[in-house]
Amino acid sequence: MGRVVVPALRGVSFDVEEGEFLAVLGPSGSGKSTLLHLIGCLDRPDEGEILFEGRNVLILNDDELAELRLKRIGFVFQFFNLLPRLTALENVKIPLALAGISDKEADERARKLLEMVGLGERLNHRPSELSGGEQQRVAIARALINNPKLVLADEPTGNLDTKSGWEIVNLMRKLNEDLGQTFIVVTHDPQIAEVADRIIYLKDGLIEGIKSISR
Amino acid sequence: MLSMAWMNLKQRKLRTSLTTLGVVIGIMTILAVASLGEGFRGEIKQRMEQGFELNVLIVFPGSFTAGLREGFSQKDIEYIKNVTGVSLATPLITIPLTEEVKLCNETGAKLGAFTVGAVNFTEMREILPQRFILTKGDFPRENERGKIVLGYKASVVNETIVADVGENVTLSMPAPPTMSTSNFNFTVSGVLARGGTSGITNFDYWAFISIEDALNMITKKDKPYQIILVKVSNVQDADRIAKEIEKHFGPYSVTVFVPTAFTRQVNNILSLVQMFLIAIGSISLIVAGVGIMNIMTVAVMERTREIGILKAVGAKNRTVLGMFLTEALLVGIIGGLIGEFTGCLFSYGLAQILNNFLQPNETKLLEGPETQSIKLTPALSSTWMIIAFMFAIIICIIFGLYPARKASKLNPVEALRYE
Repeated sequence: MGRVVVPALRGVSFDVEEGEFLAVLGPSGSGKSTLLHLIGCLDRPDEGEILFEGRNVLILNDDELAELRLKRIGFVFQFFNLLPRLTALENVKIPLALAGISDKEADERARKLLEMVGLGERLNHRPSELSGGEQQRVAIARALINNPKLVLADEPTGNLDTKSGWEIVNLMRKLNEDLGQTFIVVTHDPQIAEVADRIIYLKDGLIEGIKSISR
Repeated sequence: MLSMAWMNLKQRKLRTSLTTLGVVIGIMTILAVASLGEGFRGEIKQRMEQGFELNVLIVFPGSFTAGLREGFSQKDIEYIKNVTGVSLATPLITIPLTEEVKLCNETGAKLGAFTVGAVNFTEMREILPQRFILTKGDFPRENERGKIVLGYKASVVNETIVADVGENVTLSMPAPPTMSTSNFNFTVSGVLARGGTSGITNFDYWAFISIEDALNMITKKDKPYQIILVKVSNVQDADRIAKEIEKHFGPYSVTVFVPTAFTRQVNNILSLVQMFLIAIGSISLIVAGVGIMNIMTVAVMERTREIGILKAVGAKNRTVLGMFLTEALLVGIIGGLIGEFTGCLFSYGLAQILNNFLQPNETKLLEGPETQSIKLTPALSSTWMIIAFMFAIIICIIFGLYPARKASKLNPVEALRYE
């Protein structure tokens, strides 16, 4: 009896263009989240390589990966993952604090960004005092606060009602168009995936197909 | 980071305060024990210095090992006087008062004395200037016979003066060979000031006559002296002089009491006791440390998800490590500060309680030298306060290190999945 190793991804290879809005579509267990974690440098693959801005990130040590996550990558999660004890504003300020930016400047930037995602009125509310959609907006603001190159969203609408879900997707799409950041959104909702420039279909750890959507 | 740690601690008020309490108790114990021990030692030392003149050696004939020997002769005293470093040596003849040997006043009532000592008054005054002081009357002049000087308690029994200056007292004792009782009359020439303290040289229950008078009363005239008091010019020489005297008289034939050696010994014992108590205090601090480890480990588990989030948005391992260590450090600092404060209060409170306990029960001590109440004053030294504080912080960091490292090493993906 031993542990059975189940590879989540088996031979996935694709490129993402700068400024692209990419959707990864697939049923649960298809390896979407694992893929996203690998791209986001949260996890290391057993094999293969991940190139970010032309650089193999797997040769970096933990601290360098943390630095990369801090400055170049933003994360949006299904369950928001806000710190419950902090206000919306404080949550957004965390990455700035970690980057060593002065509190005054951080405050200013976080306010501006929260206004941009439509939460200018709710700066000092705690996550428990916000709706799911509002919490996800805070999470998006947090992901964008350090001006990352790449924003990764793991089922961002998975925990929201349809209306809020669409608001979030549209917000991300708008931010992508306004700010030119690359977005990779993982979802199991084909309708939401249709918003993207390109869809990657993932099943059982393999790419089943890629569809480009022209606008 | 500091404000974040502070916030995290505030979030878990009860648990944080309980952990801090552990540190507080540890510090408090160490501090109280150290300061009381120091105070106690100071008190004992002071009392011993009051009890004995540190520059006076006391020479007895015989020894514990070889049994009592006959007394000293005039020649022996002359020898001791000539030892280098000895400034004066004076002999004592002691006549213990018993059923047969009695010291009574004119009306036949017994005086409060236990012992009659025969001394050279001039030399005694020189050797024990702080004790051989009169409260009234005069010392007998040189060669003056038939005079007696009473200790305070010999003259005053139950707060009534039984023999005052100018009055006559009678020493009656059976004299060999017939063992029929002979009476010797003395006139009280002076009463000594009250000594009060315990110690060998407390003369409250003594009565003193001159050596010449005593020599007339006893039969053994060649070696009559039971005690020789030796005054040394320099306290540092006491040990050497004692050895020299012992060597002269041969092994075990004399015992020399050296007060400095005695106080040194007591001091050593007290140090040992103090160290032991501090060790107990340290144990309580280590227990507090384990408490910190416990709270931090639970906190890490509880905040696994939070750590995952922080790492996902770009917190480095050492940032997480620092966060948890800062929390442990804050507990140490706050606990340490409160502990220092309460430790001071505690030691004074404890001293107060102990002082009440240590008051001698006067009714039980009917006779015998008066026991003075022991007064314990805590000696709070800044050294001990700094040591205790540093110890608290070090303990907190050591015990906080393991959970903090554990937190920093968490895999972000797994941490995020943690419910």
